[in-house]
Amino acid sequence: MTPFAVFSGSPWRIAGAAGALAAALVLLALPGLVNPYLLFQACLVMVTATAGLGLVLIMGWSGQIALSQAGFLGVGAYATTYLVAQGWAWPLAAVTAGLIAALFGVLIGLPATRLRGFYLAIATLAFAELMIRVFVEATPITGGIAGTAVEAVVLPGIDVDGSRWYLCLGVAAVTTAVVIRIGRVGLGRRLRVVRDAEIAAPSLGVSPMRTKLLAFALSAFIGGIAGALYAQCLSYLTPEIFDMGLLIEFLIVAFLGGVGYVTGPFLGAVVVVVLRDLLQDLGSWQRLGYGLILALAIAFLPRGLASLPDRLRARRPAPPAPEPPPVSGPADLTGAAR
Amino acid sequence: MWQQIISGLQAGSWYSLMALAIVLVLKATDVPNFAMAELGLFPAFCIWALIDGANLSWWLAVPIGLLIGIALSVVVERTAIRPILAENHFATVLMTIAVFVVINAIVQLVWGSEPRKIDSPFAGSFTVAGQVVAYEQLVSVAAGLAVMVGLILFFRTPLGVQMQAVAEDRVTPRLLGVSVTTVFRTSWALAGAIATIALLLQGQASLLTDQNGSGLLIKGFVAATLGGFSSITGAFVGGLALGVAENLAGAYISTSSKTAIALLAIVVVLSIKPQGLFGRHQVREV
Repeated sequence: MTPFAVFSGSPWRIAGAAGALAAALVLLALPGLVNPYLLFQACLVMVTATAGLGLVLIMGWSGQIALSQAGFLGVGAYATTYLVAQGWAWPLAAVTAGLIAALFGVLIGLPATRLRGFYLAIATLAFAELMIRVFVEATPITGGIAGTAVEAVVLPGIDVDGSRWYLCLGVAAVTTAVVIRIGRVGLGRRLRVVRDAEIAAPSLGVSPMRTKLLAFALSAFIGGIAGALYAQCLSYLTPEIFDMGLLIEFLIVAFLGGVGYVTGPFLGAVVVVVLRDLLQDLGSWQRLGYGLILALAIAFLPRGLASLPDRLRARRPAPPAPEPPPVSGPADLTGAAR
Repeated sequence: MWQQIISGLQAGSWYSLMALAIVLVLKATDVPNFAMAELGLFPAFCIWALIDGANLSWWLAVPIGLLIGIALSVVVERTAIRPILAENHFATVLMTIAVFVVINAIVQLVWGSEPRKIDSPFAGSFTVAGQVVAYEQLVSVAAGLAVMVGLILFFRTPLGVQMQAVAEDRVTPRLLGVSVTTVFRTSWALAGAIATIALLLQGQASLLTDQNGSGLLIKGFVAATLGGFSSITGAFVGGLALGVAENLAGAYISTSSKTAIALLAIVVVLSIKPQGLFGRHQVREV
């Protein structure tokens, strides 16, 4: 009898549910439990994970390589900040910013998603570079190189730090629920059909282009919303925040965490936020560390940290009734990005 | 106008070279190599160090730099790419991004972010029909042209034909006695040398910084996209066209529109003619 064999038994289910409830309570009570600095780091984890969930949609499930999430975060951050400064309510501004990001996503994805996977990688990389230029040039909105200050959102009866945390936690929770839901309904299945058998997809009545484009637009939307939150965490925006460095952090979030799993971005986000905190004064050494971690993750843990339970289970002699893997199961990346 | 076109052709030939290196690796090993420019950036900095620090002559430093470029690409292919090539395409693309980050960080750690200039023996200029042409510009365009012709000839040799066969299918050529290992190593080695030339030309005509790689990488990919990723001539012409279009836009629209041209070119070409201006249509993975 090994621990995993009894996992599907009902006492374990109850224990699991109790654990989840306890975790939820801890998260809700977090502002009272930790100091403001740790709470801020926890906010960053939620924001990074939210952006990473967008990558689960596009890279994990549809098998397209998108390198624009940092750009979409920038669009979301600047657009929300600008709209709030014009007198909009923050939630409305954030959703609008998300829609703007999604619109950009459609414009970039429209040509690229018709073609083999790496065209999207190139178009999105070019887009991310272009966005940095736009942030520098569009001085009336972004403040140019000098940057622009972000107005903090304060929820009634809660201090600034607490408000930021509940905002991040709430958006991360809603995004997680939406992404899990998408994984279970038709869109999630269509995405995986397109990823695993693109040429056969039309014979199943699935348009690869429309499916990929929808995934990309959703991913951009989530990126834009994450950007609105990121602005809240940073409180001051400058163009170089959204450069190549942020993109690389997102790739680590997605691939060290596990791009086929909803839990992946959260694991990856914890690693990235901790690393960023530890290595922030080391400049180029930090980038070297990031690059090596990414390379090692791809070489030795191609499905990410979130795949470890599945791997452990798979290594044992066949369990009687294995727990169904979360949402999509391990991303069979074979044939992805073709 | 003509001045803009001439400088456009010069920058364009760097883009062409980068596109040729990218297409070469893609044709042979089916990997879109996001580390391509960094594989040339490191040896270009080595050349600068050899000339500036070790006081070597350009004629000696450049061959050493090319050898470093070849060695670096071969080592990267062997240690980072080949072990995961069997897994899937997705992992390989990401691995090239990881290699990009690692090499870029190493360049920053060794040489810092200060801009450098490679001293070259091609100083000066001459005047043709009232237009001033720098020798450096002539060298850039000639180098691009020479590499393109060389590659076209190379793809007609037995090894070149083997390369294209391996790109299409990694199993069948092996049954016919083609060494896939040799093909991979050769294509990466050649591409490493070509990328070194691109960064060298840019570093001696303008400036060499740790940021040159990412800029040139995107331009190279755009040029390759224009050319359709399958055509050597297409990649070359695509690079020149991009360089000229950028310079004209920079002169007649605004300086900041220069960057936008590259993205605009991708979106327009992929929308109108997705196989690129010179590409062949192909559907894979049936």
